Amino acid sequence: MSRLQKTGQVAGAMLMLLVSTPAVLAAGAIEGEIERQPLNPVAIIMFLVFVAITLGISYWASRRTQTSKDFYTAGGDITGLQNGTAIAGDFMSAASFLGITGLMFVGGFDALVLAIGAFAGWPIMMFLLAKRVRNLGSFTFTDVVSMRLDRRPIRIVAILGTIVVVLLYLIAQMVGAGKLIELLFGLPYEVAVISVSVLVLAYVTFGGMLATTWVQIVKAVLLLTGVTIIAFLVLMKTGFSIDTLFAEAAANHPKGEAILSPGVLFNDPIQITTIMVSMLFGILGLPHILMRLFTVPSMQEAKKSVFYASLFMGYFYLALIVVGFGTVIFLYNNPAFFSADGKLFGGTNMAAIHLASAVGGDLLTGFMSAVSFATILAVVAGLTVSGAAAISHDLYAEVLCDGEPDSRKELQLTRLTTVAIGVIAVLLGILFQNENVAFIATMPMVVAASVNFPILFLSLFWSGLTTRGAILGALVGLVSSVGLIVVGPQVWVSVLGFEEALFPYNYPALFTMPLAILTTWIVSVSDSSARGQIDRKNYHELLIRSEYGPDDGELEVAKH
Amino acid sequence: MDTDKRLELIRRKTRRRYVFALMTLAVYFTFVLNWTEAGAGLGNFLGDTHISGSIVLFAGLIILMIVFELIFLALNSRGDEQ
Repeated sequence: MSRLQKTGQVAGAMLMLLVSTPAVLAAGAIEGEIERQPLNPVAIIMFLVFVAITLGISYWASRRTQTSKDFYTAGGDITGLQNGTAIAGDFMSAASFLGITGLMFVGGFDALVLAIGAFAGWPIMMFLLAKRVRNLGSFTFTDVVSMRLDRRPIRIVAILGTIVVVLLYLIAQMVGAGKLIELLFGLPYEVAVISVSVLVLAYVTFGGMLATTWVQIVKAVLLLTGVTIIAFLVLMKTGFSIDTLFAEAAANHPKGEAILSPGVLFNDPIQITTIMVSMLFGILGLPHILMRLFTVPSMQEAKKSVFYASLFMGYFYLALIVVGFGTVIFLYNNPAFFSADGKLFGGTNMAAIHLASAVGGDLLTGFMSAVSFATILAVVAGLTVSGAAAISHDLYAEVLCDGEPDSRKELQLTRLTTVAIGVIAVLLGILFQNENVAFIATMPMVVAASVNFPILFLSLFWSGLTTRGAILGALVGLVSSVGLIVVGPQVWVSVLGFEEALFPYNYPALFTMPLAILTTWIVSVSDSSARGQIDRKNYHELLIRSEYGPDDGELEVAKH
Repeated sequence: MDTDKRLELIRRKTRRRYVFALMTLAVYFTFVLNWTEAGAGLGNFLGDTHISGSIVLFAGLIILMIVFELIFLALNSRGDEQ
């Protein structure tokens, strides 16, 4: 099998993990015609319980959401543990659970590259970004990058980066959500998409970040509980022996012992490296994740948040080893889970749900299906808050009102923007329902790694950065990342139908991120403008403020 | 504390940030070894078990990165106290 064929075979499943949402399911096994499952009453009852609890939370949160600060950052009163759990809930998705497990069902060990990629961004987030971002920003990462640079142009570029990432993420989310819910609950696609949007609007419009935070916390606890129960039941049936788990998996899988080592799904180290770069640096540039750092009261709590998030995610991805190999043991050779033509019912992304059924019966299946739906709501809610903040805070309050908006109008606009994003999400979800959205699912992480991360990192760590360099670097990152995705296998071959891709990799961040950084560096060092001098001069004061908090240091640009 | 002293302290902290970030990146990208000739040995099983070196590496990397975070937090809290 050629490298390209292999790439195509696993690309869909990988993509779901790249955006860390069920959305990507659209790109993988849940693609094209879906065999709708019979209505699942247990799943629906459990999901309704979740909805009732989260709507109750939203009602409670709405009484505490009076100002823009409440809306964007939950008043900054979330504790480190709560925020860490919410970050895990925001990032750890049904895609992580269903996607990695499904890929392990097919190819064993190789799928774990996606798990390590999804995990490793968090320690780097703690070491490099958590404290400084928390100290410098108010509501969004755009606040941070505009601190020492010419605020108007750099904000516009950062808003562009945010909106592109959020919209692409949302499209992938909504299409994947529609298909996943159709599959799990037996609901029509349109009903699923509208349900997701209506519920998210209820959470976000009334409860803002506080409701979103608690929805994400509840979801994270449910997901971790579900994965723990499944892993426990799998281990119970293997006598709590990891060795027996692997031995039985190898005995059941058509590829035998090969699934316990690398090489079944991937064989190109550059392909692996591009995936790992996209995932790690993509996480560091995701606006809705960075925004969570502002919900805690101090820089210490920000660092703690990231640590707790790492801890939960580390546990989750380690537990997936048991769950993934568990699917191999319990599903292969069990005809109850396969159609007449030998395909797993619902596709390989359903392997985890089938495993729940095999080890825990209808109750656990219903629970895990409900958790998967809850997961979608939590991620879409986070994206919606982030998109709304980009428009109402970054654009309206900071650019159009020059940082002095009428706070009542700003909050009204925030709520209106939230509703608009909800409507747009439904429209895009319906518009793209029959499209191959695999390439859309690739873009958010690659764009975040190539646009948002370089300007954020360099503004915090390089004194030589100038506005001109940051803007041109970000634009080069945006154009090159979108361009290389278009000429890569996912779009050029799979969507446009050409025989051979012009660029061999689906995840070009390995090339586009260094290109963006190089452009930023060259333009900045050759920038002799007066604005460039101010940008460089501002760095030391920004540095002090980034370590000692917002009361220290007043930047020249901040006075404008 | 005057600005120069503050900047010196921040530079020291920044070096620490870089050291931890680079260590994390270094261990992270060792995972690529699994798909190279140099890491061919990782595909072997440990003793008589079915546990491959690659799986041990995966679990070990996650645990190691969490340990890095713990050390970083401990060093920082000591630094904050000082």
